Amino acid sequence: MRKPAALIVLAAIVFSCVKKKSEYPDATVPYVVETINTPPNLSAETGGIAFMPDGRLVACFLRGEVMIYNPETKEWKLFAEGLHEPLGVLPISDAEILVMQKPELTRLRDTDGNGQADVYETVTDDFGMVGNYHEWTYGPVKDRDGNLFISFNTASEWGIMMDEVRGKLDTTLVPFKPKQKFSAVPYRGWIAKLTPSGEFIPYAYGFRSPSGLLITPDNELFVADNQGDWVGTSPLFKVEQDKFYGHPASMLWVPGWSKGDPSKLPVEDLNSDRQRAVVQFPYGIIAASPTQPIYDNTDGAFGPFSGQILIGEMNQERIVRVMLEEVVGVWQGACIPFIDKQGLRKGNNRLAFSPDGSLYVGQVQHGFVGDRGIQRIVFTGKDPVDIYSMNITNDGFDLHFTQPMDEAALRDTSNYHFRHYYYEYHLKYGSDQFEVRKVAVKDIEVRDGGKTVSLKLETLKPGYIYELTIGELKSESGDLLQNNLVCYTVNTLTSGQRSIPHLAY
Amino acid sequence: MRIASLLFLLCFIGYSQLSFAQAEEVIEREIEIKAIAGLKFDLARFKVKPGEHIKLKLTNVDDMDHNLVITQPGARKEVVDASHKLGENGPKQNYVPPSDKVLWSIPIVTPGETAYIIFQAPSKENVYPYVCTLPGHGLVMYGAMYVTTKDLPPLENDPHVPPANAQGGDSKHNHVAADLHPYKTTPPYLYRIFMPDAGPAAIAVNLPNQLSYCWDAGSCRLRYAWQGEFLDPKKYFDKKAEKNATILGTVFYRDKTTYPLKFTLDKDPAVDFKGYKLIDRYPEFHYTIDGKDVYELIKPKEDGSGLIRSFKIPEATQQLFFVFENGDGVEYTTSKGKIVGHQIKLTPDDAHVFVIVMTKTGTQK
Repeated sequence: MRKPAALIVLAAIVFSCVKKKSEYPDATVPYVVETINTPPNLSAETGGIAFMPDGRLVACFLRGEVMIYNPETKEWKLFAEGLHEPLGVLPISDAEILVMQKPELTRLRDTDGNGQADVYETVTDDFGMVGNYHEWTYGPVKDRDGNLFISFNTASEWGIMMDEVRGKLDTTLVPFKPKQKFSAVPYRGWIAKLTPSGEFIPYAYGFRSPSGLLITPDNELFVADNQGDWVGTSPLFKVEQDKFYGHPASMLWVPGWSKGDPSKLPVEDLNSDRQRAVVQFPYGIIAASPTQPIYDNTDGAFGPFSGQILIGEMNQERIVRVMLEEVVGVWQGACIPFIDKQGLRKGNNRLAFSPDGSLYVGQVQHGFVGDRGIQRIVFTGKDPVDIYSMNITNDGFDLHFTQPMDEAALRDTSNYHFRHYYYEYHLKYGSDQFEVRKVAVKDIEVRDGGKTVSLKLETLKPGYIYELTIGELKSESGDLLQNNLVCYTVNTLTSGQRSIPHLAY
Repeated sequence: MRIASLLFLLCFIGYSQLSFAQAEEVIEREIEIKAIAGLKFDLARFKVKPGEHIKLKLTNVDDMDHNLVITQPGARKEVVDASHKLGENGPKQNYVPPSDKVLWSIPIVTPGETAYIIFQAPSKENVYPYVCTLPGHGLVMYGAMYVTTKDLPPLENDPHVPPANAQGGDSKHNHVAADLHPYKTTPPYLYRIFMPDAGPAAIAVNLPNQLSYCWDAGSCRLRYAWQGEFLDPKKYFDKKAEKNATILGTVFYRDKTTYPLKFTLDKDPAVDFKGYKLIDRYPEFHYTIDGKDVYELIKPKEDGSGLIRSFKIPEATQQLFFVFENGDGVEYTTSKGKIVGHQIKLTPDDAHVFVIVMTKTGTQK
């Protein structure tokens, strides 16, 4: 049955977490947002951030710079320049950095030890470009076997195609009528795997704008996509080889493809071939444009959410937290705001945990809603009052809190406002919410001394998002619940029942 | 006082038939200046040697009329004032005042048009201003012709160029890019950016001596080269990074072949881009043709008249051809092999290390 992995992790933290000395011992809030100064004349549109083995931060910026920040001295140094819209960095050593720029994955090496890259080596450019602004490339992330994963955006129907393109041109989807993102060259809309020996393997397809990639400690690949045509609301996928994730344009590059314009296939066929999201982020409610997922591997240095996934959001001053579980072999879970405002800016594009357990956030704008710069989120040591996890049960959900809650308030049904809805899988941009219904709470059981509440619902159906808004809940010690909006994507019931509404995203 | 060289003045307006061929024959240096948007010449200054025969071309890419008047040293403001005094007679005199402070002038050039003059530079080393004397333009739209054999002073301290140019740093330097980055945009430096007339994986390189080129990492070849300022990348950087960067100079070379380097003449090689190494900040490109490593380093000719392309193909085992076509804007010399027609033939030994110099057509050797 269900694996309550999250609970085991929680217990481990409670008993084994060694707290380091807080930078904010007197803080009355769990998290403090700091702003990192960036150098003069740097347009700090952050494409990627990561930590080097020696503890310095490396960041790439959309005007082509790769810069290294020393958190001790607060000094920036230029490492490389002139790159083409770089959107990801992965340090290999203190003198070698992989950077994903628009036309290629490049290895930057400082061979003369002067602190600046002098060798810019192509790792791979085995993918096409039509010269369209929307053809962003993301990654790389590395799995434990040394494979790298990178992703290729589709091109925009509102953008251009250059007279001269790179890669084999297939104009089946051009002039892209009806309007939708397109893939006229390989492997737009794909994730690729690069083996340690350099083999380029088109790995999985069906992506629209897969801006964020993550390899978890369990060696699983997670990828977030962005709401739009064929993407009812932004999803987080668990990605497996050769599988299809819903956006048809990329199907042109499936080996042996002979079915013409994939977007003209019966939507039922596309739908049945499609992998569903492990979590959907309701549009505008949780996130409008999610970016990079990151796994909290800080063992408590960043607070109680170790083992969970955080993900950036472009359009709001917010980081979102994801709580996953595997239910009868199916991955699903909930999403909840993590930091909401509190001094955080918009445009939260890239996340990286520092060796000290703080979370660095790189921001971007790039003609969209967003901001520029780099901020740092520090756990003060004051435990947050929050939902630690949300788990599906046979007839509802269990909410586990980070602290014991006021039991009387927990037992009050008027504190729980559930509704369910689904988004639709279709070509049209985004999706309305369908079958929006209130769902009554039938029964409440408080357990674990107020740390858990079991909510039995009137109905529980697969294929729906269950959105819960919680009233004024306080902890035993009187602190308000930090985030009171949480959305659970039900892919399956614990019984294994998985029949979902027709074309539910 | 009239300077002696004026006695030899060969001053022809572009479309003049008279003695045109004779005048062209003696040209030692060609300078191209564009009148660009924002009341500017794209060249804030240029250098010629005393007594050199110059062809100076003005192309108007702005949306209003401009002229270009070269004055005696220090006489720019006086000439501008004199042109204002022309009043209603200004247009028919092309706003060029009757003044002995005016040395040469290109009359009004309408948008999209080009005109040129041919003249012999003064024998006396000095700074000779050039200016557009149309009403209101003269205060900001000017530049400096340095007649000298010496190096120019740093642009930021140069009182002879408009302040907007001086703020940018060195003259061989793109003033537009100056405050766009946390580093000094001093040539050589490069951008990987969307460029006109190239594939989407383009590399734009700014060289010293007012030269720049576009190298294509998709097709692994030099596409074109230009003289003047480098790039305005702002259109690209704006918003979603959709538009090509703008070239701030005049393209003088374009590769017109299907591919220039080949082991067999009847077939273009398969190419693969491997990256580049910065050597004194000059990129040395590494790519393969038919699986053989090629290293290509491009430097400017010292007089700014063309490019020096150094190639290394250490594992060449076959004869190699470097092919080119008429009308690509340059003339070729090679350190190895033979130029036969439109080919440079290199033995495998030659191909290990060779240098091809491309000099802008019409430049005196």
